[in-house]
Parts: sequence; structure tokens; C-alpha cells
Amino acid sequence: MSTEKIKGHDRYKHSQFAFTLSTLFSLFFLYLTASNGAMTYMILFIAFSIHSAIQGLLLKRLTVEGLRYDDYTMFTRALITIQMFSLLTGNIFTATCAFRLRQAEETMSYTFITYIFVADLLLVSLTALNIFKPFVTNTFLIVLIGQIILTIIDMWLIHYLRRDLSTRAHATRKAQGLAIFFILTAATGNVLRLLLSYHLYIHYIQSDASRRNRSGVFWQKITRSFTSMLGLLFIVVIFSLSWTSTLTFVERFAVENNYQALLLEPSLVHPFGTDNFGRDVYSRVVKGGVISLSIGLLTTIIPMLIGGTLGAISGYFHPLVDQTIMRVLDALYAIPGILLAIAIIAAFGSNTTNLIIALSIGAIPMFARTMRASVLTIKQLDYIKASVAIGESDWKILFKHIVPNALAPMIVRGTLAIGTAVIATSSLSFLGIGVEPHVPEWGNVLRVGSSYLETEPYLAIFPGLAIILLVLSFNFLGDGIRDALDPKMD
Amino acid sequence: MTHRLIKGYRIMSSSPGLTVLNWLFGIFVHVPTFFYYRIKFRDFKKQTLTANPIFIQKLARDYDARARYFGQEINERKKQTFINKEYKKAVSDIHVPDVMTRYSLFFENQLSKRSFLFLTFIPGILLYLLFFIYHQGLVRFVVERLVATGFVIVSVIIIVFSLLYFSPQDPAQNILGEQATQLQRDNFNRTHGLDQSYIAQLTDRLHGFITFDLGSTFAGNEDVLQNIENRFPVTLAIAFSSLALAVMIAIPIGMISAIYVRSFWDYSFMFLALIGLSIPSFWQGLIFILTFAIELDWLPSTYTPGNIASLIMPVVVLGTGLSATIARMTRSEILEVMHEDYMMTAKAKGLSKQRMFTRHALPNAWIPILTVIGLQFGAMLGGASVTEKVFNIKGLGSYIVDKQFIPDIPAILAGVVYMAIMISVVNLVVDLLYALLNPRLRAELNDG
Repeated sequence: MSTEKIKGHDRYKHSQFAFTLSTLFSLFFLYLTASNGAMTYMILFIAFSIHSAIQGLLLKRLTVEGLRYDDYTMFTRALITIQMFSLLTGNIFTATCAFRLRQAEETMSYTFITYIFVADLLLVSLTALNIFKPFVTNTFLIVLIGQIILTIIDMWLIHYLRRDLSTRAHATRKAQGLAIFFILTAATGNVLRLLLSYHLYIHYIQSDASRRNRSGVFWQKITRSFTSMLGLLFIVVIFSLSWTSTLTFVERFAVENNYQALLLEPSLVHPFGTDNFGRDVYSRVVKGGVISLSIGLLTTIIPMLIGGTLGAISGYFHPLVDQTIMRVLDALYAIPGILLAIAIIAAFGSNTTNLIIALSIGAIPMFARTMRASVLTIKQLDYIKASVAIGESDWKILFKHIVPNALAPMIVRGTLAIGTAVIATSSLSFLGIGVEPHVPEWGNVLRVGSSYLETEPYLAIFPGLAIILLVLSFNFLGDGIRDALDPKMD
Repeated sequence: MTHRLIKGYRIMSSSPGLTVLNWLFGIFVHVPTFFYYRIKFRDFKKQTLTANPIFIQKLARDYDARARYFGQEINERKKQTFINKEYKKAVSDIHVPDVMTRYSLFFENQLSKRSFLFLTFIPGILLYLLFFIYHQGLVRFVVERLVATGFVIVSVIIIVFSLLYFSPQDPAQNILGEQATQLQRDNFNRTHGLDQSYIAQLTDRLHGFITFDLGSTFAGNEDVLQNIENRFPVTLAIAFSSLALAVMIAIPIGMISAIYVRSFWDYSFMFLALIGLSIPSFWQGLIFILTFAIELDWLPSTYTPGNIASLIMPVVVLGTGLSATIARMTRSEILEVMHEDYMMTAKAKGLSKQRMFTRHALPNAWIPILTVIGLQFGAMLGGASVTEKVFNIKGLGSYIVDKQFIPDIPAILAGVVYMAIMISVVNLVVDLLYALLNPRLRAELNDG
């Protein structure tokens, strides 16, 4: 294989991406060591520089030895194995890359299980930080031990799924067992497990080849795009941490005032410090994750349904209907989403329900336009003419034949819109007109922190980073889905 | 002159919506002309349909001759049917002038007469103006966009006013406090016109916007127009500086990314753009204040009027999201154009890469980019309210946020409407630029 070809391959790019990010992070930690002098940053800096150096070496070897694991020399294989352990210092980039390189043939199930493992490991370590708290919930230990056991099982499954499942004896029965196991363990909030069991069902259990191909093309593109997998990983971690937090995080630390612990610096007990009421900011951010995430999802799904229906109707039926609907939506479109939300909240009071309604209404025109555009194109296709000729009713044609085929752009829009919705939600909360101030929504947490910017900047920095991470993840995922669904990319 | 009017009339008759408009505006011309046409048409028909005795006699003679020739005896009944049939045939063969067949053609014919125009000039001035607008695609496009903008602004006023009108909140109670008596509240409602009906208040507001009388705020009784005048320039300055900054930074970045696609720079720039898209502006503002104002002490942390340096941070913060979007769009649009067939032709012609890019890729790619800039400008203005709050700028955005707690209906309404006007105007300019500079659309408009 020529060097050019190797450099153009996904695996090489993944390695390059891991190298760049790892180097950037090590430089960032160096800056923190220099400005802060803390020992932790020093250790992290050293660890990340070592990973970057190994990754650099690995990149060099890849250009020579190609991309197939079987072709690698013992030295390269050793490097890959060492790189896998970079996960222990939190370097997800080099670790996921090493897991990928370790594989002889790229199978989706292997990719999924590695990311499931990484997600579980992150979940365990982020939950385990509670050990340093003065007390924990009753269920904390049981849940934590359960998560650790699951992580160990994941480790074994990584080894097991490295070979394609279909090469093993009794593949279907094994796939069935695994699929049931993953569905049951998805109770931890790890949505990747559901995806894996769905994948196992499609590829090893059911026998419809066309379904297999259709879902295969899409998921293959997603699993091969490391950025969208990373996005998915962070979304899953944030969600499952927040999901399990009712069992593992003490509610009191997040919402009740504690005047003994006002404005404390970040430490192991309070990883993000405490705010002016003595509330633990880390617990607040964790608890708030599910709130920000669900508001973001709701303010995307509601306008997607309403806007999608309006757009479909206006694209399919008579121009008069079309003009009426679209002109009304145009007027709505001329008011920026946030301003419309402010106006609605001004009129009906600030609480979470009104916030969701307000943000949803603002997003309706965008989805309607997207849907209308694709319905207009699909309406002209032959199979729609065929259904008209058969004499099917308009509504049936619209919602059974047109809309399912017009969904791709809507899904892409929707994924990218979740990020915007999360930002809009926290912006409004930051202005004090969003979620009720006592709820640990991320914008609220940040608002408290912003008043102590000069003395305790970390109070504002950490929740902000959480927002960026979530939004960035959705944007990564959205870009990946767009590339996977866009036929122009082929 | 007259042929332009006729062309305009033809275009207007081609679609049902425009036909309605045509009749609505020309009711004083069309109704009399239509009756005139019906009368003339009936006269014409009468002339041809009245039995012509000479012709009938000739037909009768024809029948007799034919019967004689074939040796048949003359049947009176058959003769009558023959005459009727032949007569009808002959009538239908009579040439009816085209002008008489349809009203539209008749009207066109009338339009070409100067005397008719002269006669109907006063009642038909609106109609002829309309024809004149519609006779040329470009003029039509411009006027239609202007009307649509006006329509959007009026709708915005109606939507926002309705929202605030149907609000369960009571401004009187919020301002006067719990202990205010019913009399005081009624008095408050009367002075601000809140006791009137929905329609009365709405027309009052609409009238106010046309006459630039926006009323006074509930709290403090300040003149809203005065407030807006004070606050609008800052928002305008920040918004347009951000737009300029975003365009200056993002378009070159998008171009570089598209030229060196899949290179290290492409990936880095797009990664940066994605981060720029993911940063909440208020957090970015806080971090900027923390680094550049508190730690480094380079820039003032809050805005002071007349100090250009204090505008730098807000402009950069507001421009970040816009730059990210524009850079991503520029890249994808140029890439799309690069895969077009004419680029292949250009390559086959042996054009240099540079020439291919500047002569063929850019002129085709910038049109959708312009549209995106117009659309994103609105989203950016929404973000302005947050940024203004972070940097403590007394602009239009923060004005709306400050007034929303009461809710101060005149102030919020005016603020939102002025923002919507700004967005609509920018989009109007974008659309007009698009029409004037896009050769394809221009040709289409002129042909149509």
C-alpha cells in the first residue's frame, strides 16, 4: 500500500487526530503547571507527553507498515498495547485509537464494545470521586461495584468480539445472548449498549439482508468516524452519569446550603469547588446534566414534530395552503429564537415548561422549511406518481411514502439543533429567565459562578466546560450523521 | 409604453393570486370595461345570429336543386333541418375577431388605445402602476420583496403584541405593588390604554409604529422611542462590526480549508470552527473578561460609550458563532462547486488551479454564502442580548431583557420589532444583492 493511500485512510487519520489532541492537551497541562504549580497537572503533563511521543512513533510506523494489524512488527504491536493503557491517565484519544488499531478486521461490534468500555470506565471513575465525600448514599457502594463488574465484563467482551462473531460456532445463539445482556445492562444509562444490541440483532439474528445492508452502510460510516464516536461517547457519559446520580450522588450536596463550606477551592472532596451557598459544584453539574440534556432534546423533538408536519403539509398540498403556512412561519422566522423566547417568557412567566414551549416555537420554522424542501423534491419522484395512480389517499401517501424518505435532512438538522438548544437554554438561565434559579441547570450553576469571576473563576469555568463538551459532542455527532446520510459524500 | 402595460397585464393574469390582485386594484377600470365588453359582445352576436332572409332563401333554393338532381320529392321537414344545419355551420364559420372571444384579449386591445388609457387614467392609476411593476421581472422581484418585508414586520408586531396581551401577568400589579387599590390599578390601566379591547390596542400599536409614536414605558413613564434611539446605535455598531469581522476571518478560512481539503489545516480550522459553534457566548464573554480584563488588564471589562477598546471583546464574542458558521458554509459551498461539471471543463481547458478557483469556483460559490450570512445575522442578533448583558452594554438586547420582568409591553414590543426590522432589512439587502449580482437569476427574472 502506498504512503499516500495509507495517509488518506481513516485509521491513519484517527492516529493523527489522537496525536494532535494529545499533544495539545500536554501543552495545556504544561501551561497549567507553569501558572499553577500543582503536582497533578505536572503528572498529567508528563503522562500526556509520553502518550504523544508514542503516538508520534506509531504514526511513523504506520506509514511504513500499512494499516493491517497482521502486518505489524512485534515492536509496533507492543506500542499499540502500551498505548491502550493511556486510558488510565484519562487520555481517551490515544486509547480509542489504540483499541482501533488492535483490530484485524474492522467490525462494528468491536468498535461499539470498545467505546462502551471507555464510557463505563469514565462512569466508574467519575462516580468513584464520591468516595472522598464525608458520606455517600446507601446504594452508592452496590451501584459502584456493579459498574466495576460490568466494566470488567466489557474488558473480556472486547477480547471476545475482536474476532468477527459470525466466524464463531453457534453465532446466532451467542448473538442473542449478548443482545439480551446488553439490553439489560443498558439500565446504567449507557445508550451505546442499546445501539450494540440493535446492531447484533440486525446483523446476526434477523435474516432480512436488505435491512442489514441499509443499517450497515449507515452505522459503518458512523463507527468509522472517530469524531462522531467521540461525540457519542461524551453524550453517553454525561447522560449515564446524570442518570445514575440519583443512586450514587447525595442530593443534599447539590441543592442544600452548607455554611461550613462556602466558596472552597477545588479539591478531591469538591472537585469543582463549592459555591456561595456551600453547594458542591461537581454534584450540581452532574445532577444538572440530565436537565440540560432533556430540555435540549425536548426543544428539538417538539418543533421537529410540529414543524415537520406543517412543512410536509405545506409541501404536499395546494399552493394556497403552502403559501398560507409558510408566510405565517416567515413572520415567526424574522424574530430571533432567543428574543421570541424572551417575549414568550415575559408574557407567561419564567419556568421550565414555558422555557421549553418558548424555545420550541422559535425552532418550528427552521424544521418546517427543511421538511418542505425535501417533500417538494420527493413529490416529483416516480413511486409517488405510482401511488397516486393506484388511488391511495393523500394523507397515506404523504405520511407513509413521502415523510419516511424525507427524514434524513430532518435528523441531521435535529442533531445539530440539540447543541443550539442546549446553548439557548443555558443562556436564558444565565439571564435569569430560564429554569427556576434553585434547579441545578448548567446555566444557573454558571450564573452563580459568574459573580465570583475575579476571586473564584473555577466556579464559572467548569460548568461552562461541561456545556461546551455536550454541545461539541452533539455537533460532532451531527456532522457524522450528515456525512453518513448525505449521498453527495459517496 | 402601452406594450409594457400589456406585458404586465399578461403576467398578472397568469397566476390566480395575481388575478385577484389585478381585479382588486383595478375594480374601477375592470368592472365598467367588463360591462362594455359584454354589451359589445352581445351586439356582435345579435348581428350575426339574426336570421338573414337572403341567405335562408339561397339555402332553400340549394335544397330544391339538390332534390331535383337526385330525383327526390321535396320534403318540407327535411328541408327545414337542412336549412338549420347549414345555417349554423355558416354562422360558426363567420370570422369572429380574436379581440371579441375573451375578455382578457378585449382588455389588452383596449390597453393599446391611448384614448382608453386617457379615459381611465384617474381610476386606474394603481392598476397601471401594478402592471408597470410586473412587466419587468427585476422590478417585480424588488417590489415583492419590499412588500413581503413590510408584511413580515407587521406580522411580528401582531405576534409579539398578542403574546403580551394574552399574558396572565398583570403589569399594574407588578409596578404599583401588592397594596395598590383597585382604583389605582384601574387608573394605571386607563392611562396606558390597557382597558381597551384587543383590536383597539393592536390598531393603536400599529398606528404608533407608523407614526413613530411608541408610547411610554409602564415603569418610569419614559418615552420608548427616546430609549430605543439611545440604545439602538450601540447594538447596530456591535452587530455590524461582528458581521464584518466574521466575514473577514471566516471567508478566507473557509477558502483555505476548501482548497487544501483533507489537509492538516483543513481539519484544524474545521475543528476550531466546531468549537466556536459550541461555545456559549456568555461563557466566552466571561472567560475573555477573566483573561483580558482581570488577569492581563489589556481591555476594559465593561463597555463605556465612546471607548473603542471596550467594544473589542463584545464584537469578538458576538462574531465567534457567526464566523464558525460562515467558515463551515464557505468550505462546503466551494467544495460543492468544485465537483461541478464546468470545473472539469475548466480543468480540461488547461486553466491553472488559481485561475480555476478565482474565475469559476468563487463567483459560483459566494451566492449561497451570502444567503447564509443573511440568515445567520438574525441568530447573531438574538445572541446580542446575552452578550450585551455580560459586558453590561446598554443596547437594545439588554433593554428587552431588562423590561421583560414587568412585562413592559410597549418597551418589549418596540425592542423586538426593531430587532426584527434590522434583520428583515439585512435579509432584504442580501436578497436584492443576490438578484442584482446573480446572472442566472437576473436572466430568469428578465425572461419571465
